[in-house]
Amino acid sequence: MSITRFVKPEGLPAFLAHLSKDARVLAPVVKPADKRSVVFEPWKEGKEFTLEKATVPAKAAVLPQCETLVSYRKVKDKANPQNVKLELDDTPQAETTVVFAARPCDARGYVTLDRPYLKGPIADPYYKARREKLTVITLTCNSGCNTCFCHWVGGGPSSPEGSDILMTELKDGYILQGITPKGDALLEGSGLDDGADRFKEMEDVRKAAWATLVKAPNLKEAQAKVAAKFTDVDFWTRETDRCLSCGACTYFCPTCYCFNITDEGEPTSEKGGRRLRTWDNCMSPLFTREASGHNTRMEKALRMRNRVSHKFSTYPENWGTFSCNGCGRCISNCPVSLDIRQIVLDAINADKAAK
Amino acid sequence: MATQSKKEGMLRELTPRPLPQGNPYKPMAATVVETIQETGNIKTIRVVIDDPEQMANFKYEPGQVGQLSVFGAGESTFVINSPPSMKDYLQFSVMQAGEVTSTIHRLSAGDKVGVRAPLGNFFPYEDWKGKNIFFVGGGIGMAPIRTIMLHILERKKDYGKVSLLYGAKSPSDMAFSYELQGWLDNPDLDCHLCIDNPAEGWQHKVGLIPNVLTEIGPKPDNCVAVLCGPPIMIKFTLQALEKLGFQHENIVTTLEKRMKCGIGICGRCNIGSHYVCIDGPVFTLKQLNGLPPEL
Amino acid sequence: MPVLNGKELRIVGFLCNWCSYGGADTAGTARAGQPTDLRIIRVPCSGRIDPLFIVKALLNGADGVLVSGCHPRDCHYAAGNFYARRRLEVLKQFLPVLGIDDRRFEYTWVSASEGQRWQHVVQTFTKRIHDLGPAPKLEDPEPLLKVVDMALTSLRPLGTGQKNKLDELKAAIKAKLPELDVVIGWQQGYDAARTVPLFMRTPEDVDKLVWGPFNVNNPAVYLPQYKGKKVGIVVKGCDAKSVVELLQENLINREDVTIFAMPCEGTLDMARVNQELGRYTTIDKVEYDEAGVTITADGKEHRFCMNDFAQGKCYGCTMPTAVLSDTLIGTPTEVKPGPYTPPELALLDSMSLDERLAFWRGQMERCIRCYACRNACPMCVCRDYCIAESREPHWISQEDSTRDKLFFQTIHAMHLAGRCTGCGECQRACPVGIPILALRQQIARAVAQLFDGYKSGVDPEAVPPLLGYEVEEKNIHEREWK
Repeated sequence: MSITRFVKPEGLPAFLAHLSKDARVLAPVVKPADKRSVVFEPWKEGKEFTLEKATVPAKAAVLPQCETLVSYRKVKDKANPQNVKLELDDTPQAETTVVFAARPCDARGYVTLDRPYLKGPIADPYYKARREKLTVITLTCNSGCNTCFCHWVGGGPSSPEGSDILMTELKDGYILQGITPKGDALLEGSGLDDGADRFKEMEDVRKAAWATLVKAPNLKEAQAKVAAKFTDVDFWTRETDRCLSCGACTYFCPTCYCFNITDEGEPTSEKGGRRLRTWDNCMSPLFTREASGHNTRMEKALRMRNRVSHKFSTYPENWGTFSCNGCGRCISNCPVSLDIRQIVLDAINADKAAK
Repeated sequence: MATQSKKEGMLRELTPRPLPQGNPYKPMAATVVETIQETGNIKTIRVVIDDPEQMANFKYEPGQVGQLSVFGAGESTFVINSPPSMKDYLQFSVMQAGEVTSTIHRLSAGDKVGVRAPLGNFFPYEDWKGKNIFFVGGGIGMAPIRTIMLHILERKKDYGKVSLLYGAKSPSDMAFSYELQGWLDNPDLDCHLCIDNPAEGWQHKVGLIPNVLTEIGPKPDNCVAVLCGPPIMIKFTLQALEKLGFQHENIVTTLEKRMKCGIGICGRCNIGSHYVCIDGPVFTLKQLNGLPPEL
Repeated sequence: MPVLNGKELRIVGFLCNWCSYGGADTAGTARAGQPTDLRIIRVPCSGRIDPLFIVKALLNGADGVLVSGCHPRDCHYAAGNFYARRRLEVLKQFLPVLGIDDRRFEYTWVSASEGQRWQHVVQTFTKRIHDLGPAPKLEDPEPLLKVVDMALTSLRPLGTGQKNKLDELKAAIKAKLPELDVVIGWQQGYDAARTVPLFMRTPEDVDKLVWGPFNVNNPAVYLPQYKGKKVGIVVKGCDAKSVVELLQENLINREDVTIFAMPCEGTLDMARVNQELGRYTTIDKVEYDEAGVTITADGKEHRFCMNDFAQGKCYGCTMPTAVLSDTLIGTPTEVKPGPYTPPELALLDSMSLDERLAFWRGQMERCIRCYACRNACPMCVCRDYCIAESREPHWISQEDSTRDKLFFQTIHAMHLAGRCTGCGECQRACPVGIPILALRQQIARAVAQLFDGYKSGVDPEAVPPLLGYEVEEKNIHEREWK
């Protein structure tokens, strides 16, 4: 049996304080507004936090919205001013980080990102530096929700994949269960009470959470069926009638990982400049537009086709698993409630409907 | 619950790539040594990597590409169009189109640039040994063709007949004009040049590449056709080659897509599950037929 | 020079090449002493000055910005400065909502011969900026997260619109459908407690049409992409204003658009509805009555009274029925205009300049630049080539700085000057709930004040005020340089 610890709700701030001694702790924080949102922010002593599911997943812990890949500057040789050298600095910015109270779908997101970023032909050194310094503490979900569908795509409300520690809410507090050696070590050094006697209760709570889920359709055929729909442009046009072509679905997705690289600042200026990597999204018409004007994904239908195909057909072709974790944020954050579940189901059922 | 295999690593084999500079995103500092104005909108630049050791050890294969940076403007992908035997410099021929290429066009000898190379796969010239090769280059598409052609001509004894059809809009749009006479005179090369419309003093073929190709009528037996050019030319040349009886596995092309990372992550250059930057840019028509039609 | 006792501040000057630049030269030739804080940028005409030049300068560290052009009626290009005058005045009235003191920006007219006047203008403006001191930076204040007060009183009774004759509307659409490529309306979304835009092409599609308080989306956003096709559109009063504004700007053709309308009784603020509903798995039922809706989710009942849960814009709505329509089902509701300040704007009005800067800092931090605001805006018609993402021109970087994000919002707001109909889709679309509508509301208020109560999207024949000018502006007056 794995290492378990128990903490009462009032003990959480002390636990976070303990964690933040050696690490940046990213915890969900409420942003009050007419439409309130929950975002991950670095926690510091005294700061309020929440355990709600965040509006924006903690993807930025490994893939910040903006980072400097290389900073560049021209330097003159003092002895010989005509001799100009280009100075390049590519040190990754990576802090030891604990993500606190992610959800299982978010934690699985890190595993989804690991494949292309670490296991492809060339590993991404910036991602790697941050990923190695990351510990994920995940709060299991006690119920399903209207936009969640983690159990359709291989996850579940207490899926351990991607987490170092799973935390489950019990009646009077939280039980923390080590999943990886990293998680075990963290719990052992946490000074929290042993939770072994609450293990059974934890299992019951997790089972009860599964019971709240609406029955999942079978997505076994999704990969083949979505791929088969690729050439049916009418299908994608219909499915994306109402799409506004903004980037909400991709930027709120814990597994969307496309990026852009742009330069800011001239090397000849005093400060030099920086080559930035920033989130980019395949919903933007400029994403694939070439300087010549040629664009393979000119219409929004073709762009959404790329997004859905990537999640359900081409990523699985490369890595053997969907790259959608069913967090549902693309649905809940979409200004027109475009529903990726429906698109996939429509693709699966397309031939049945035609008959 | 969906049951899926959870294998470690990619499901298809991709050969690991050497990374001369360690960090795949960090360009090697380089200096422009020469620029050549090829045509009104094509400029060739020759660069040398600043670190002499890196320059001496730099190896690549014909068809591989590089990301050329002008710091402040950004990076763009171009084929390294000097043959690998050229150890003095790396050559890129650039057509002016957007921000980066315009900046490249303003470069002159002594300017600092960055190079991330080599990226991507290359022409499978080992597999072509003993075969005839027919090269077709259209406009700036001649750049990659030049690399592989010069590479093959250096090893001519291993190959059968080597032919080239190089077409451009007009005589003044022909890059590498200073090399053409040499190619025409080369006994190892069967060289055809064509332009779209008749022009004064033009002594070669006139017509669109696919038509001229049909007129030349290369025999498909034991022959590989290698083509590169703008999308519209590719489309019709492929049709012409098919009509001539070329098998799909014997038609080879090199693709161009908008690229940023060059290492198969950033998500722009994919055709279905394949990425032009790591699976390509060189594909046979047979391989392309197996991918979704998104070119 | 007396004003230069302290340190120099950063003042940017945009000067018309034909007059003020010459004026500055004249002053220099006459050896008229001037403070040296001003950095001059020469432009071909004051009409060339995009107000965003000024905002960009101010957001990026300028302590003051001075614009000087030819005197009105004296423009080298006949009318450049007439247009400039309107734009610059709107900008001046807009700046305070960002938390920028409008005294840090001034515009005036100096001719090439007025060396003395130039000296006076520079001295006066520089002294003013020195009196104000260095400009506060967006990054400096502690983020301030104040919440909009939504306890509002409506100008009219709000309801759920269920007495409307939806069947008649459907019949009218079906009758017209053969002549149209598509008709845009609403259908139920992924559950009964929300709707999504519906694209009707067959009579079966028309049967999916719904009408009620969940119809929040503005279908007019889709019209420009169908330009040249025959399109029908079902509208609420506010949506119709967007259609009219699109017509005003020739972005769509009147003969291509068929407008179907019914009187609207208000729509729900889904942000508050969703918050009240909380996390749920399934909607069991949704029941309507005259005053509101009752939603049962996972067995739990939630009551939403329209008077408490409507969108902010609905409380002040005076045009619940389309101002322009081809088929109107029902009778238009008359609403008398009354006192109403949009709640977002009211919040900003209640703050000091410093608080506003802190507010925007706190709000914009969480923006992740998804551009849902832009793409949900029916008036944002160049979105595929938006300068937010272009490198040529390179207006903003891809950096995730608060400054870049706020600057984008300013770009959006300025581009909507005299065009925004206040539909609020930008704010509703924002997944992280940034009250960006306030910026558009302030622009609209400034435009109304300057141009005789002008409201966009009401009269298809009206010329948007920033596309025109008067030789003598009624409400814009040259400031005295004392």
